[in-house]
Amino acid sequence: MSLLGQHSISSRFALAAALCLGPLLAQAGQPLQWPVSSIPAALRQNAHAVIRQQDDILTVKAAGRMVYTVHRVVTVLDEQGDNWGVAVVPYDKLTQVSYLRGTVYDADGRVVRTLRTADIKDYSNVSGASLFEDNRVRVGDLRQPRYPYTADFTYEYSSDNTLNFPAWSPQDEEHVSLEHATLRVTTPPELPLRYLEERLPQGGAVTKSQQGNQLVYAWQLTSLPALEREPYSPPLAEQVPTVYTAPTAFEVQGHRGDMTSWQGLGKWEYDLNQDRAELSPEIKAKVAALVKDISEPRQRVRKVYEYLQNSTRYVSVQLGIGGWQAFPASTVASTGYGDCKALSNYCMALLRAAGVESFCAMIGAGEQRAAIRTSFPSNQFNHMILCVPMPKDTVWLECTSQSEAFGYLGSFTGGRHALLLTPQGGKLVRTPSYAAAVNGQFRNAEVVIDDKGHGRATVRTLSSGLQQDALAQMISALPADEQRKRAYARLGLPTVTIEQSSWQPNRQGALPAVTERLTLALPSYASLTGRRLFLVPNLLNRLPPPAPSVGARQTPLVLHLPFTDADTVRFKVPADYKPESVPAPVQLRTAFGSYEAQVQVLQDGTIQYIRRLQMPDGHFEAAQYEAYEAFRQRISKADRMQLVLVRPES
Amino acid sequence: MLSFLRQISLAAVLGIITHSVSAQDEPIKFGKLDATAFKASQYKGAEGAPAIVLCDFGTSRIVGAEDGFKAVFERVTRVLVLNKAGYEQATVAVPLYHHEGKEEELLNLRGFTYNLVGEKIEKQKLDAKATFEEKLDGRHSLRKFSLPSVREGSIIEYAYTIKSDFLFNLQDWQFQRDIPVAWSEYRTIIPGFFQYKEIPHGYLPYTTQGRDIVGYSTGYTQSASDSYGTLSAATGSGNQMLLSGKAVRSVWAMQNVPAFREEPFMTTRNDYLAGIDFELDKIVFDPDRPQQVTSTWEKIGSELLKEEDFGVRLQGRSPLHNAAEVLKAQHTDASARAAAVVALVQGKVRYNGQERMYATTPLRRVVEQGQASAAELNLLLVQTLRDAGLDAHPVLLSTRSHGRIQTEVPVLSQFNYVVAGVAVPGQPELLLDATEPLALPGTLPERCLNGQGRLITSDGGKWVPLAPRQRHAHFTTAQLSLDAQGAMRGNMREEYNGYAGLAERNKVAASGEQAYLKALAQQHPDWALSGTKVLNLEKLDQALLVETNLTVPSSATDAAQQLYLPVMQLFTAAQNPFAHAERTFPVDFGTLQEFTTSVQLTLPTNFAVEELPKSAQVELPNGHGRYLYEVKQVGSTLHLTSRMQLRKTQYLPHEYPALRELFTRSVAKHAEPLVLRRTN
Repeated sequence: MSLLGQHSISSRFALAAALCLGPLLAQAGQPLQWPVSSIPAALRQNAHAVIRQQDDILTVKAAGRMVYTVHRVVTVLDEQGDNWGVAVVPYDKLTQVSYLRGTVYDADGRVVRTLRTADIKDYSNVSGASLFEDNRVRVGDLRQPRYPYTADFTYEYSSDNTLNFPAWSPQDEEHVSLEHATLRVTTPPELPLRYLEERLPQGGAVTKSQQGNQLVYAWQLTSLPALEREPYSPPLAEQVPTVYTAPTAFEVQGHRGDMTSWQGLGKWEYDLNQDRAELSPEIKAKVAALVKDISEPRQRVRKVYEYLQNSTRYVSVQLGIGGWQAFPASTVASTGYGDCKALSNYCMALLRAAGVESFCAMIGAGEQRAAIRTSFPSNQFNHMILCVPMPKDTVWLECTSQSEAFGYLGSFTGGRHALLLTPQGGKLVRTPSYAAAVNGQFRNAEVVIDDKGHGRATVRTLSSGLQQDALAQMISALPADEQRKRAYARLGLPTVTIEQSSWQPNRQGALPAVTERLTLALPSYASLTGRRLFLVPNLLNRLPPPAPSVGARQTPLVLHLPFTDADTVRFKVPADYKPESVPAPVQLRTAFGSYEAQVQVLQDGTIQYIRRLQMPDGHFEAAQYEAYEAFRQRISKADRMQLVLVRPES
Repeated sequence: MLSFLRQISLAAVLGIITHSVSAQDEPIKFGKLDATAFKASQYKGAEGAPAIVLCDFGTSRIVGAEDGFKAVFERVTRVLVLNKAGYEQATVAVPLYHHEGKEEELLNLRGFTYNLVGEKIEKQKLDAKATFEEKLDGRHSLRKFSLPSVREGSIIEYAYTIKSDFLFNLQDWQFQRDIPVAWSEYRTIIPGFFQYKEIPHGYLPYTTQGRDIVGYSTGYTQSASDSYGTLSAATGSGNQMLLSGKAVRSVWAMQNVPAFREEPFMTTRNDYLAGIDFELDKIVFDPDRPQQVTSTWEKIGSELLKEEDFGVRLQGRSPLHNAAEVLKAQHTDASARAAAVVALVQGKVRYNGQERMYATTPLRRVVEQGQASAAELNLLLVQTLRDAGLDAHPVLLSTRSHGRIQTEVPVLSQFNYVVAGVAVPGQPELLLDATEPLALPGTLPERCLNGQGRLITSDGGKWVPLAPRQRHAHFTTAQLSLDAQGAMRGNMREEYNGYAGLAERNKVAASGEQAYLKALAQQHPDWALSGTKVLNLEKLDQALLVETNLTVPSSATDAAQQLYLPVMQLFTAAQNPFAHAERTFPVDFGTLQEFTTSVQLTLPTNFAVEELPKSAQVELPNGHGRYLYEVKQVGSTLHLTSRMQLRKTQYLPHEYPALRELFTRSVAKHAEPLVLRRTN
């Protein structure tokens, strides 16, 4: 029956093709490919796309040469899965795309079209603050007007940069399921593959074999249903089956390295930049003069860092090996700019001239970045900072920022592993973390409510540590009028006019802080209904309710930002109003933090609201999620509590 | 030719009123700077700014070249860097264009960074070799460079020349930037045989504007072709000539230009940013036979119909001809047939998001690929509508993100998009756009609601209004009853009409129905929702409906006698959409808008009304908008109504405070609770 059906369909199709669709003629009579009807129901559930088959092949040709081939067939079920109908292949000076081919099939599995060379687009893929990078992408787009459709892409690239082997994690997005995927790695016998298997299903471990004199490693994955990320859960990359691979020995533009240890990787990067920290006698003399009256080592470092911040800026130029090799310090001295490597290396040279030893360190920068897999030496880094060992606290310097506080790393590079680059090679060390107590937001507000319910508030907020990162960034990057616009967005009040605003950074303390001062007009902040006045005493710090959960909790709860908030708000209300309903005090203590809120009517009629919330960071068991949700809901409710005042009937 | 050019009477050729500009000196000399320039306080607008452009000076002139002319653009820019946020001014990207062997060439790049050290100016030179080329696409690239030794208080200065083979557009000029500009000046020196249309934009007045006639001479090489037709200019044996005559010198300048800031509800930056664009209008070598490059909309239209990537695409049968014939037989009513053709085209080809005016891909290939730009998709639509027996023509327009159309300036580059217009007897043209499968045929996507479009026909064409035929209307109705404990139960229905329906359908399509409903639940974390559904998703001619049953938990405390219910706030937007107190540019919505919420609340026997919010009505001047709020009690049922109507699509900056106040009042009114009292 099904055979007959198929036959009649394809013969009718052949007729149509012969009449008007010339280019499709060749496909007539071909067997149907990837019909959607053969996808198991369980894999369609909750999925926008289904990976029907993905075959990745990594061929290590030599320490400095690899070829990567991908064959990927994905059925796109609806519009939200459309990005799977597009193939994007990055390349640069060291990486060439050999080919990118594609064919798209309709739901039944008939060929709709095949990519032509002219259809493949080529775009620049350069990051924002860059003067020059050579990153580009080839793009093949097979998206269709009707769903479902199946896009079948094959591409290959070869690279003379073997520092990074791609991680194999075919199911790397939400709402995509997987029928079958394979990874096959071939290497010469003297360059055995290093790999790290994470979250592979039972029986998913590597199969090793030999083909001729080549070593072959193979993995496969079968029938993985689509995932949906739960709120406050680990990043998807830490939830799906993954095989990380890395070379034993590698080579980039003639620079060979050993990756079997952190020591080896660090040594490679160290050697690449050796002899690039020479400064002219004039600059050396300048630095010596700068620090000649300062004996305390930490203050010497601070002085040099300030000089760096005032005389350089971040401009990225990355080309080939330039992605890992810094501009010489003398170049930075004359142009006054450089990227993270160049500026860290330059700062190291300046410190050396001031008689202080320091080390560059590779790090994975970015908020909420996956932790370094410490047991698997490989290039997991994207940034460089400078480490200055001190008898007591080691000083860490972010050399690309002209405004960052001395010794402060913030959420960009704090609280994680970095690879210190020493003459002996690499060494994994941890950067400082910032605990709840130091990430503060302390606020004091005085509000006067008039007899129409309009309010005027003066607000002073001191933010410190991680809680000031965004503010400090804003102050240094935006002009005054734009800063005020951001403040509007942050306030989140229904209607407000900011009459005065100022932000004062303080970078001198142990941790940076920002003081914000606002004068606000709050039209109808209090509602008046005849005799009554309604007021939400929590003026500016209402915690939103938690994102709703999706069924029973599966994954751990992850809290990223440890913080302490304290708010005191005092309201002066028109004299003749007396309290009718005052919210009861709330006090909550849980493993996820503590919360207190209290409204008092003081003797002079002033209404005083005090709120304190402290939350830690950390991982919590899935079973604890319900309690966390309840905690957040109770806070959210308490934050919206309303006070009712009433005046006597006149 | 030489003598002939001398005979041209310029005034006659130009036909413009010339008023003399004093032959003033150039506003800046590259490399000439004194220490007083570093004092920031002398510049208006410098306070709070990251940097200020002290002078930006550009000149475009036409010069003779081999077998033709080139446009030469010279620029000198000087910027005072005030703080670290201004460092980004020191990295400069110059966009360059090249196409079919012709190119724009960057020449003579030079630059300095000046730092004041004590009384002395330290000068550091830009390494002109350290420029980088970034290829953007087949025709566009950027040349980037970064000035050295930039610090707070540095003055950076750079100058370059662009020599261009493209005479069609002169380099445009922006007087305004994201940082304040103390002086910005552009000059053009154009010999009489080239004439350009000027397209100004923005809202700022010129400090200086004028025109005069100046002497002009330029070298010109004409290839000599031998008897075999071979050009010999390349070998240097062409005829060298000197052209001299007169040229028109124009100047535009602005002083103390404030930093440009985008605001919400704008069309495109370019409509607001002070600047001027140019487009070649005529070439006049022989006054008796001027070569009109662009001049009238009629001519533009008829030439477009001969263009390979436009009119020629429409010739012949549609690749969907057979299906169109079937629809022709099926539908007698023109509108119904047109709608069926739109659906046919949409079923075959999807919009790839590219707003285009030219169909670079043949339509047959478009159908094979299954995806297309707006031009390809809608020209296919025109062709298929014709095959279905309808009188269809392309309509050119400029999308909101491309900018406003100036109908008095007949310049093709004002357009970037094309839709289909179908003549329906006794009615205005039916405008169809196949890019939006979720829009009712005849409802243009919001991006197209931008003034007027140009219907292109062989007999000259005409303007058609793109005004929206529908409003953006959102109605919410809820029927609730309060229980003895103070919880509310009932149902809610949201009705999205016109453009609100389109916007909401797009939201559903973008996230999926499941995620859409989830987001709805998320907006009301306290509510318990059940039976939530989206209706009419596919019925584009009807309002999109969202219906749900809901329970709002009680906020009552056991002890209290009073219950306070901010009922209206539950069903309306809690935020004023106009967050900022100041407004520089008009608010442009595209459509008329209406938001209505109507709630019925039935009280139980143990609660009585103690206090109700007062009804209110607020009007904008001239009836351009209105807000109405009403509470009525009928027996034990309360009827609450809130209605916001905006009766214009555009509000000028002076109308902004009243518009913002209208929303402020409505948000405040919605926050007012009902006060109920326990009776037992």
